[in-house]
Amino acid sequence: MTIGIDPALLARYGSLAIKARVIVEGALSGMHRASVHGSSVEFAQHKEYSPGDELRHVDWKAYAKQDRYYVKQFEQESQLTVYLVLDASASMAFGGGAIPKIEYAGLALAAIAYLVVQQQDKVGLLACGDKQIETFVPPRGRTNHLHDLLGVLDGVVTAGGRGDESPAHALQRIAELARRKRALIVVASDLFDAEDETLATLARLRAQRHDVSVLHLIDPHERAFPYDGLTQFESLESAHKLLVNPNAVRADYLARMAAFLARCKSAMADAGVDYHLVATDQPVERTLLDLIMARSRLGPGKGGGRDRRMEVG
Amino acid sequence: MGFLAPLMLVGVAALLVPIAIHLIGRQRARVVKFAALDFLMATKRRTARKFRLRERLLLLVRAIACAAIAIALAKPYTSCETKGPQVTRGPQAVVLVLDDSFASSYVVDGKPWIRRAGEEARRILTQLGPEAEVAIIRAAEGADHPTELTRDHIRLRDQLLALEPAARPADTTRALSRAAQLLASSSHARKTVYLIGLVARTGIRDEQVWGEDGPRLVVVDARPASMPNVAVTNLRVDPESGIGTRGVAFDAEIANFDDAATSVEATLQIADKVVARGRVDLAARQRKSKRFVATLPPNVRSTDASVSISGDSLAIDDRRFVRASLRDKVRVLLVDGDPRTVRREDELFYLEAALRPGDRDDSGTQVRSITAEELAGIEPGAKGKPGAIDLAEFDVVVLANVPALSAERVAVLAAWVQSGGGILVAPGDRVDPAAYDRTMLPLLPQSLRDPIDTTWGATPDERDSRALHLVKWEADHPIFTPFPPSAPDLADARFYKIVLLGPTTNTSERKVLARFTNGAAALVEASIGTGKTLLFTSTLDRDWNDLPIHRGFLPLVQQSARHLARKHSALGVADHLVGSSVALPTGDLQKLEVRGPDNLGAAYEGDRIAGRSSIRFNRTDRPGLYRVIGSDQTGATLERDELAFVVNVDPRGSDLAPAPASMLPTSGTGGGTAPESTERRVELWHALAAALLLLLLAEGILVQR
Repeated sequence: MTIGIDPALLARYGSLAIKARVIVEGALSGMHRASVHGSSVEFAQHKEYSPGDELRHVDWKAYAKQDRYYVKQFEQESQLTVYLVLDASASMAFGGGAIPKIEYAGLALAAIAYLVVQQQDKVGLLACGDKQIETFVPPRGRTNHLHDLLGVLDGVVTAGGRGDESPAHALQRIAELARRKRALIVVASDLFDAEDETLATLARLRAQRHDVSVLHLIDPHERAFPYDGLTQFESLESAHKLLVNPNAVRADYLARMAAFLARCKSAMADAGVDYHLVATDQPVERTLLDLIMARSRLGPGKGGGRDRRMEVG
Repeated sequence: MGFLAPLMLVGVAALLVPIAIHLIGRQRARVVKFAALDFLMATKRRTARKFRLRERLLLLVRAIACAAIAIALAKPYTSCETKGPQVTRGPQAVVLVLDDSFASSYVVDGKPWIRRAGEEARRILTQLGPEAEVAIIRAAEGADHPTELTRDHIRLRDQLLALEPAARPADTTRALSRAAQLLASSSHARKTVYLIGLVARTGIRDEQVWGEDGPRLVVVDARPASMPNVAVTNLRVDPESGIGTRGVAFDAEIANFDDAATSVEATLQIADKVVARGRVDLAARQRKSKRFVATLPPNVRSTDASVSISGDSLAIDDRRFVRASLRDKVRVLLVDGDPRTVRREDELFYLEAALRPGDRDDSGTQVRSITAEELAGIEPGAKGKPGAIDLAEFDVVVLANVPALSAERVAVLAAWVQSGGGILVAPGDRVDPAAYDRTMLPLLPQSLRDPIDTTWGATPDERDSRALHLVKWEADHPIFTPFPPSAPDLADARFYKIVLLGPTTNTSERKVLARFTNGAAALVEASIGTGKTLLFTSTLDRDWNDLPIHRGFLPLVQQSARHLARKHSALGVADHLVGSSVALPTGDLQKLEVRGPDNLGAAYEGDRIAGRSSIRFNRTDRPGLYRVIGSDQTGATLERDELAFVVNVDPRGSDLAPAPASMLPTSGTGGGTAPESTERRVELWHALAAALLLLLLAEGILVQR
């Protein structure tokens, strides 16, 4: 079964909120709701019954002892906090064979945010790339917050990639913000800049028992290098230019790219990071579903939430 | 440098075309903003630099190629001062006479002179232009000459490149004569002979090659100021009994052809082993003889030897070869049919003298003379008695004017001949043809008829004019090989009376070796079993002819005796010169192979050898030892040392003295010698065209990379 819509088509839809909803609904259509119920609430205190309270919460044992009606009050368990990290560096603006990587990342992160808020969890956003501008949306769980977050995300995506700041700084910032409270951190990046530093920071986050998922975004042209004829390549992050015959360098380039991807995958696996190599021409629904399935597989204590997993529905 | 068509230089502007294309092509490169540039930049250092270098090289090559086309079309030329003759370009008939005699192997500045001559000839050929009809004539003696002029300059150039010094002296006169013949057949008005090389005096004969209306002669002989040369010009070997039976003396003649005194070391080699050395001091233009005495190696009857001198610039004449053989004595039994008390009237007077000249031990023959009556000693009944003669002790029996023998004696003689003996029968006044017919036929190739006397009835004045002479002899037969073709020593002998011959007898391989002027046979040979018989139809003394007082008598008798005894070898046999024809007796050989110093040669078998008493070997191209390998009837192949021979260079060619201008033919339309120096124009567009081709090739390779 083919899941999802072509990202290029999806990009033409209206606001980011709508796109996020389309993605989530597209991804989740036909799937069963989670069978886990009630485990997310915990007894907090007794309250004297007043009309309107649910009878099922009346503590009949207390009534037997004290002959008064008490109702059990439950406290919802601590919410899952999800930090979305968007690499908005200049290299993410590349879109050779599909939509630009930053747009794809925006769609994917918007869908995740939508899903998280649907689950009444908290979601925050941190965009990195341009050292001069800090884009941070603190984690909240309200619907209004979702709209704010998506608005900020849309602004970052629309502005396009800028700067060459590594996601490592943003991740360090999250480490400080989350402190001891465990969080799920979703990073969308091409990892082209200072990947070693980023990987080290990701490993540190894992060591702090945060759950980390990485969407490694690669454009199809970056994978296949389908260029021909005399070509001048210009860097997106620097003033470097290179006039070259692509045929002469293709084999060398592809070998280096394959080595880079293998290195990323291996380092992520070593660090226990949930790693997804995402081609930007694959449907966002597919990416979202892969992420959800991976989180489901990992479960509590294995990289998933301690007490709540990212649930379907 | 100048240009014949300078307007064409405008085309040099065409070099802007590739530059413009390059710049436009560079601007038109597709621009791609690329995220993963770092992965490309890693290879940039290698590939980008290579790419840039290739692009620049291509631009350079294309720009130069464009400019080269324009420059070549402008026909650039340069002028240079050069030594050598001034050569006129255009339609004309030209003969290049090149001295390729062995003197042309003279080394100057590490290069044989013939190389310089070849370079000079190629330069002249280039300057003549493609319209000139040219022939190349080699001046070495015996060289093949072309039959026509040609415009195929490529073939001529190849001929010049392949030119190697011959081993023969120069015969410049013959070459010039041939050049004049070739030019005479040409319709061109301009006719020139370029004589290139060492024009030595020895190569020019006093002959008028052409007259005033002959071709123009240009001599190109830029020889160095001095060309010293020392050569071994002769080498003889004689027995030297003073040091034993195997002792031999080598007499080498060493000549200095230079005007300065010199000293050389002479070395004797026997069978490639150095045996003796000695120093020879030579004054200017002096010839000296150097004697070496040595013994031949044991168990060897025949070997090659050479005398060489320390090397000079002309190496080929520094060594001379000789064949040294120990001669087998021929044992001859002379039967005197007409003994006289007056010695010079005796039938054997001249024969004995010819077989043992000076009655010396080294004559090579051992002679015993008996009367016809004493021949009774050969009969079986005489064995053990005084006067008994054992024929096994002799190789040859000569019956000189012997009356017909009894049938018993003839039977004994015939049996001896059949088993390998040789018999020579000569008639005389005591020979009765009818009696010979009755008993002597087993010993004769043909029966005898009555003699004819050419002087019968003639006055003393007419006597000599009526005499017969020897003609038509088998020059290749071993008996006649010492004689030159005309052989006045034989042809001048007068024969007044000869015996005519009748039908052939029961012998095999009968052959008339010589005839008289009237067609009658003079010398007839036949085989009897494994032996041979020779019949001479006149006397061996002066009764019927005056042959014995001619110089040809001695070699004729000696060779006949040796042929009958099948012993052809002689000490220090004839000195063959390079290019001469050598007669080799075939004997009983079925196959005969001659191998020269370079191990090349010729093989004679089948029809080339069957029925012949000798063959002629003509490929004596190089000096040195020529070995002979023969296969007999049993199929056994053996090296025939007795037939091996040596070939030497003609010493005439060693004298390099230049020919004076007076000896050369007069030049028909110009000066006889080349101008010392002249300015000439060298066209450069050929080189440019070649460079252009190379550039296009380079461009093609660069594009492919």
